[in-house]
Amino acid sequence: MGTYLLRRLLLGLLTLMAITFIVYGLARNMPGTPLTVQLGESDPSRKLNPEDQERMKKIYGLDRPWHEGYLRWLGNVARGDLGRSFSRKQPVTTLIGERIGPTFLISGTALLLTWLLGVPLGLYASARSGLADERATSLLLYVLYSFPTFVAALFLQIVFAVWLRGTSWELPLFGMSDLPADAGWAARAVDIARHAILPVTCQTYVSLAYDSRFIKANMEEAVRQDYIRTARAKGAGPGRVLFHHAFRNTLIPLVTLLGLSLPGLIGGSVIIEQIFTWPGMGRLFFESIRERDYPTIMGLTLMFSVLTLLGQLLADLLYCLVDPRVSVE
Amino acid sequence: MNDTQTNSGQSRGGQSRGFWADAWARFRRKPLAMAALVFVGLLAAVAVFAPAIAGTKPVLCRYKGRIYAPALSYFDRRLEPTIFARDRFRGTYPRNLKEKDPDSWAIWPLVFQDPHRAVRENEWPGRPANPAKDEGRPSRINLCGTDQYGVDVFAKMVHGTTIALLVGVVSMGLAGTIGIVVGALGGYFGGWVDMLTSRITEIVMCVPTLVLILAVVAIVEKPTIWKTMAIIGATGWTGIARLTRGEFLRLRQSEFVTAARATGAGPVRIMLRHILPNALAPVLVPITFGIASAILTESALSFLGFGPPPPAASWGSLLNDARSNLSMWWLVVFPGVAIFLTVLAYNLIGEGLQEVTDPRLREARK
Repeated sequence: MGTYLLRRLLLGLLTLMAITFIVYGLARNMPGTPLTVQLGESDPSRKLNPEDQERMKKIYGLDRPWHEGYLRWLGNVARGDLGRSFSRKQPVTTLIGERIGPTFLISGTALLLTWLLGVPLGLYASARSGLADERATSLLLYVLYSFPTFVAALFLQIVFAVWLRGTSWELPLFGMSDLPADAGWAARAVDIARHAILPVTCQTYVSLAYDSRFIKANMEEAVRQDYIRTARAKGAGPGRVLFHHAFRNTLIPLVTLLGLSLPGLIGGSVIIEQIFTWPGMGRLFFESIRERDYPTIMGLTLMFSVLTLLGQLLADLLYCLVDPRVSVE
Repeated sequence: MNDTQTNSGQSRGGQSRGFWADAWARFRRKPLAMAALVFVGLLAAVAVFAPAIAGTKPVLCRYKGRIYAPALSYFDRRLEPTIFARDRFRGTYPRNLKEKDPDSWAIWPLVFQDPHRAVRENEWPGRPANPAKDEGRPSRINLCGTDQYGVDVFAKMVHGTTIALLVGVVSMGLAGTIGIVVGALGGYFGGWVDMLTSRITEIVMCVPTLVLILAVVAIVEKPTIWKTMAIIGATGWTGIARLTRGEFLRLRQSEFVTAARATGAGPVRIMLRHILPNALAPVLVPITFGIASAILTESALSFLGFGPPPPAASWGSLLNDARSNLSMWWLVVFPGVAIFLTVLAYNLIGEGLQEVTDPRLREARK
């Protein structure tokens, strides 16, 4: 077990270095630098003169070739320093800390909802497999699964923010909160919740469709096993067979699925956060690419890759935990 | 491909149906999958005949004694016959044709609307100008309404079909090639080759796709739709590679490979002629699903404003226009439904393919 973990961690470290190296190279080779993109776009007259640019480049360490920059970044990361954002003049860790809450609010709620709804739906679908109501539900879920989030988001925005404007059903279009900072916490909570409804809906429905289909597929495989026939033969009721005998045996793939959803939980969704201008990680990443904010891009990439690898490792470890037959070696 | 027949379970006696014929026969019995296939075929027809469906240039016309097909210029600017530029047509055909050559005739597209510009007043005799701003609700003249600049949405969508279809096929063709090669090498040779290819696959898999795509799209100097396709393809092969590797790992142990090796076939021949045909069915499934997700990715990129520059109008860029003006619901509904139906169609085809080629699922249906 110990050697396995060590090997996985070392391999993970190598993978991380390869990923960050690639992304750093890509980021530094995007046309424009943080200096030119930021200042030139907002106001041409504020464009830096060449001497100033050289001076700034030196300060930011952009005068060196990118592989040297990468090594420097790597050294800083090893010392626990993710650097400062060029465009926001703040440490990257602070920025991430600010954004992690809002993203988690959306993705955490969405994940919870997905599982709360998805598991019963999947069980229901496998219990009534082949019947008319199940076929209709499954088809609907399948259609939902193919429905692009950004289209759904725009539809919802049109319905709730344009057509229902002025009614009590109206929901805010953008942002996380309209209230001033000194409003009472209860009012603020309600306001944030109202802002969160549409993004949460968008993030939930796709994974709901996917997860319930996944559960149903696993259940269908489970109910064909011999032990289910045995359970039925000894007189266990249909509910007990379904839940106690079949569902418990499908937990293993579900655990893997849970592990793989870890990066999304904290990384957020670029598209959803961008549409609803939700101040989360996905939007931060999108903005940092546009602003050529290398430290932020790298910080987010590092975090995201660590989470992906960690999620995979966690899934594998949990796998052994729930299924004693599986061994890590 | 005799060895594939054992999969279909019908190889007993005489000439039985091959694996693919068998799969096709099963596929045909699936109404949803067949409907999806017909829909994609229809889209392909729309893409090919786009200039004849919506455009402002004649499909075929006779002008000064010769026959031209100016509509072809919608595919490529260079196909526009030079005579019309010389005679100062400036892109408006109906009036100019009659004025400059009274004997001319022309076959017009079904819908007289242009995907790149607003139709002006009286450009088509007696027809008002396209409404601009948020006035352009769907009407008899503008079937799906017009955008802020008065450009017809229906024409844009018809001409955007080409992009939607090409994105899926080209990027997944690339991804499929990379994935199959990488997976085949790793699965067949094993050892350090497998170690290397698996590592590479894992690395590409771990970089969040949208991150990678956004970064690469930003690097590309002049974004074109082809570069977007290449990028989507170059990042979307990991799942295919893993599946191919698994199939090759399984099949390289089988008797027919040993037999092939005994007859003196080299590794390339064994991989291409003997293993690949047997591994193709399970690999084809993620490729089909990949087409759906490639179309989604392209629309999402265009939607975020990272798509190809105008005039190449993809469905996603229409949605991007809608973001700034949500009261123009037709800018969301029509392209949105088009993207959705196309993605759904490919997903249904993939699902059907999976059900007819996967023996485990086939038994389950009995």
